[in-house]
Amino acid sequence: MPDPDRGVGRGNAFWAGLALPGVVWLCLFFLLPFYVILCVALGSVHPIFQTPRPEWNPLLWRTGAFEFVFEGLFSSGAGFQKVFLRTFAYVAIATALSLLIAYPVAYFIARFGGRWKGLLLVGLIAPFFISYLMRMLAWINLLQDDGWVNDVLVWIGIFDEPRNWLDGRASSVILGLVYGYVPFMILPLYAFLDRIDRSLLEAARDLGASPFEAFRLVTLPLSMPAILAGIVIIALPMFGDYYTTDLLSQSPQTSMIGNQIFLYIRGGQQIPVGAALVVVLMLFLTVLMGYYVVSTARAHRRLGG
Amino acid sequence: MARIREWWSNPWGKPRFLALFTMLYLVWSIVPILIAIRFSFNDGRSRSTAQGWSLRWYLDDPDLSIRNDPDLHTALFQSLRLATIAVLVTVPLGVALAIGLTRWRGRGAGTSRAVSLATLVTPEIVMGTALLLVFVHVLTFIPLGTIAQAIGHITFSLVFVLIIVRGRLLAIGPEYEEAARDLGATQFQALRLALLPMLVPATVASAIIVFAISMDDFVISQFLSSGTATDTVPVRIYSTGRTAPTPALNALATLTLGLTLVVALVGYLLWRGVRAARGGTGSALQDFAALDAEPLR
Amino acid sequence: MATFHPRESRYARREFLKRGAAGAFALSSMGTLLAACGGGDGGSGTALELNIARPDNPVTHPLFDDNPMIASSLEPESGTLRIYNWNGYLWPRIKKDFAKEYGVKVEETFFDTMDEAITKISTGAVDFDVFFPTVDRMSRLAIGKSLQPLNHDYLPNLPKTVWPALQDPWYDKGSQYTVPYVTWTTGIGYRTDETDSRPENYSNPYEIYWDEANRGKVYVLDDSRDAIGHMLLKNGITNINTEDPAEIELAKNELKSLIGAVNIKYSTNDYTNLPEGRAWVHQMWSGSAVSAQYYMNDGAKPDVLRFWFPPDGGGTIGSDLMAIPKSAKRPVLAHHFLNYLLDEKHGYDNFANYVGYQPPFVKLDPDRLVAEGVVPANLKTAIVRESDFNQGYVQTELTPTGQTLWQNAWSEFKAGA
Repeated sequence: MPDPDRGVGRGNAFWAGLALPGVVWLCLFFLLPFYVILCVALGSVHPIFQTPRPEWNPLLWRTGAFEFVFEGLFSSGAGFQKVFLRTFAYVAIATALSLLIAYPVAYFIARFGGRWKGLLLVGLIAPFFISYLMRMLAWINLLQDDGWVNDVLVWIGIFDEPRNWLDGRASSVILGLVYGYVPFMILPLYAFLDRIDRSLLEAARDLGASPFEAFRLVTLPLSMPAILAGIVIIALPMFGDYYTTDLLSQSPQTSMIGNQIFLYIRGGQQIPVGAALVVVLMLFLTVLMGYYVVSTARAHRRLGG
Repeated sequence: MARIREWWSNPWGKPRFLALFTMLYLVWSIVPILIAIRFSFNDGRSRSTAQGWSLRWYLDDPDLSIRNDPDLHTALFQSLRLATIAVLVTVPLGVALAIGLTRWRGRGAGTSRAVSLATLVTPEIVMGTALLLVFVHVLTFIPLGTIAQAIGHITFSLVFVLIIVRGRLLAIGPEYEEAARDLGATQFQALRLALLPMLVPATVASAIIVFAISMDDFVISQFLSSGTATDTVPVRIYSTGRTAPTPALNALATLTLGLTLVVALVGYLLWRGVRAARGGTGSALQDFAALDAEPLR
Repeated sequence: MATFHPRESRYARREFLKRGAAGAFALSSMGTLLAACGGGDGGSGTALELNIARPDNPVTHPLFDDNPMIASSLEPESGTLRIYNWNGYLWPRIKKDFAKEYGVKVEETFFDTMDEAITKISTGAVDFDVFFPTVDRMSRLAIGKSLQPLNHDYLPNLPKTVWPALQDPWYDKGSQYTVPYVTWTTGIGYRTDETDSRPENYSNPYEIYWDEANRGKVYVLDDSRDAIGHMLLKNGITNINTEDPAEIELAKNELKSLIGAVNIKYSTNDYTNLPEGRAWVHQMWSGSAVSAQYYMNDGAKPDVLRFWFPPDGGGTIGSDLMAIPKSAKRPVLAHHFLNYLLDEKHGYDNFANYVGYQPPFVKLDPDRLVAEGVVPANLKTAIVRESDFNQGYVQTELTPTGQTLWQNAWSEFKAGA
């Protein structure tokens, strides 16, 4: 297939010009804000009102807020470290669970959807049209002591009496995260799996592979880029989640780094600390992102692309 | 019954486990919403015990229905307002960005592409904090509220337009424009007459997605809100849901869902109409799902 | 699905450094540009003194030339009166009646924590006409010119209805910037139908928080001053405004131990959490206990609610305030609203029908509240008397250093065990 990026040679400026408004917008409202965060984190506060005073001049930057954050991150047992590790664990588990759910569903609809594909797709897309919060509230309703989940579980006999799912346990929060984010993973996976060339699979079967082997040796490696992309799409934003635990738990035991950021940014006294936390989070996510980019390139090369 | 048994034991049929799994997932995903919708029509005050059917929380209740509680219908209108602004600005901006980024070769192209995709993987709390600090300390002439929220929504949803349209562009390739140019069209005419019509389904799809994302957005709307007047539906749900929610909240969410579905339907029908007018045949839904505009050629 | 085409070989180290340097240069020149057009937070030059007001150190706040009070005898403005308040702290009927009487609209925005509210008010990012601050924050707001001085010509009800002590309080002599709204105490609420724990059963009543039988159903208030305050009181530290790092550390560790013991939760929605069964033991404000009777979940009666406050009066007590932010767009209307709430009938209706927090009115006889059915007999410990202020401990302002200590302790608690 011809290189789709092969630009129409002359008129390169034309294309750049077309992209310019969007790029300028993003610079102004995406990149610039990051610099502002940095300057707030490295700035000072008014001595009495403690409103942040961003420091624009790099030569006058103060590292107090960052020192506080690093101290909290790297001394064992300190608050930020606990929260960060916990967030990492939640995101890892929730992402893994999401993948285990998303892949089979996407695979089934892509390969075996047939006549029902349109309808199934609508079912997949439906969660996008419903507010995440509404879905979460609906879930909370079901999870309450007198809610349907307990009713069903007791009726089936798994439990003798209703369990308090909302008492601040990690499993409720993780499942809440999965419930909220899994639709974002299914769609890209589906889009990709839908485009996989069937003839490759048929060739594998013709050569004697069992259905499972065909899947393992052909489909799975081919879908690695999509899997990686899906992981990145839900894991990175999930790191900043704070409202899922606020709705489902309200317990310090399940707080995520987003909650700490929220506390400091909306808390009045130490906004630079909040800004520093945001910077640290973004640096961490950039490292993860870099890992993704490198893996994708490697996967690309392996496929001969 | 016999047909089901036959389906179950057919070795060449669709894998049963996967089918069951998918069904379970769809049920798990959608049933809670159906329940929430049901309770929006509850006659009583409970959100978990069925107490009859009525439109009380939409219209009749004197203080708490959507019609009579100003906080609720203000939130609905604010959500609609922001979503409309978001679509009107993001879609043209995003389509131009997608076309430009895909075709642009040279200095800065790679970086621009990376930057454009970066919002996808940025947590909303980061963007919310960043924009809040910008509007409070730098661009102070922009007050918190609708304008600030709209800017946030546009920035956040731009990448979705980019991905959808760019994905389509990569599949289309430059042949059509080249053919047009061979026939004497200028760059601009080739773009307008050969390429843009092929992007219609992708454009419509991205408009629907931007609308849905904007209606659904919580963090940015909350951070950049100036008060109750600029609270959106999700923000209202969040703040009221934790205190003493009535089914009016369910009603609000149901209305939001309904509106988004209407927009999606309108977009789809619009495209189907255009497609039929140009002589397309076959399943319109399938083509739309594949963002396929071949029939429009 | 878009792919990246990362041509890694391109990004040789030199390229990277070059791009990095270019980026850094761009950023720092952007910095100087930002400094030019950026908005500051004002008052950078003046050396302002923060005089911490205490009951034994009454403070008259300074008045500033660039923050004048409005002129007298002006007509109230039209439009929308914007109120910034706690959730559930103002009876909707009051808003409606005021709106009708003055031909305006009334709109109320809620905040969850005082910290959040102060941030919004002091950065001036939003403009509200009426704000409900707490005593321990108003000095800062006054000195920071975030509040405007009140013109008492518009407030004839103040000398008529309010307790004399609060007309000229130690935290705001002359009521220059604030007027009182309601009084409250912080105690412990619990339900007799769900739990057998009773504060009276413990030698140290605060131990009720640690009763493992209530695991997952115990809440503290999502307010650092109150939550840490109770931990201080539990250890006999009566200075609930302490800035001693050791004492704060002790309180913080107490809070953290609650996480392991009962999986403690935090919320400011005590007035619904307890009656709706989400909580069995809840650190509670007195007014929430009274208004909780209207939120009982199906099947439960309000007589199962209890409110514990130290019988000797040695607990947290306070009053909340009403004020008008400097940036208010409708200050005359705001003054009228304050006066409206200071009216005996309206203040009482607000309390009796919805809010549950008592206004400090001279004519309001606490002993008659139970007889009149406003406060259920089982909650009479939630009634606040003027004499209670003699034994109770009031939350006063903290210095910036103190505030940092408290906030860090609070954030460490919220980080989990």
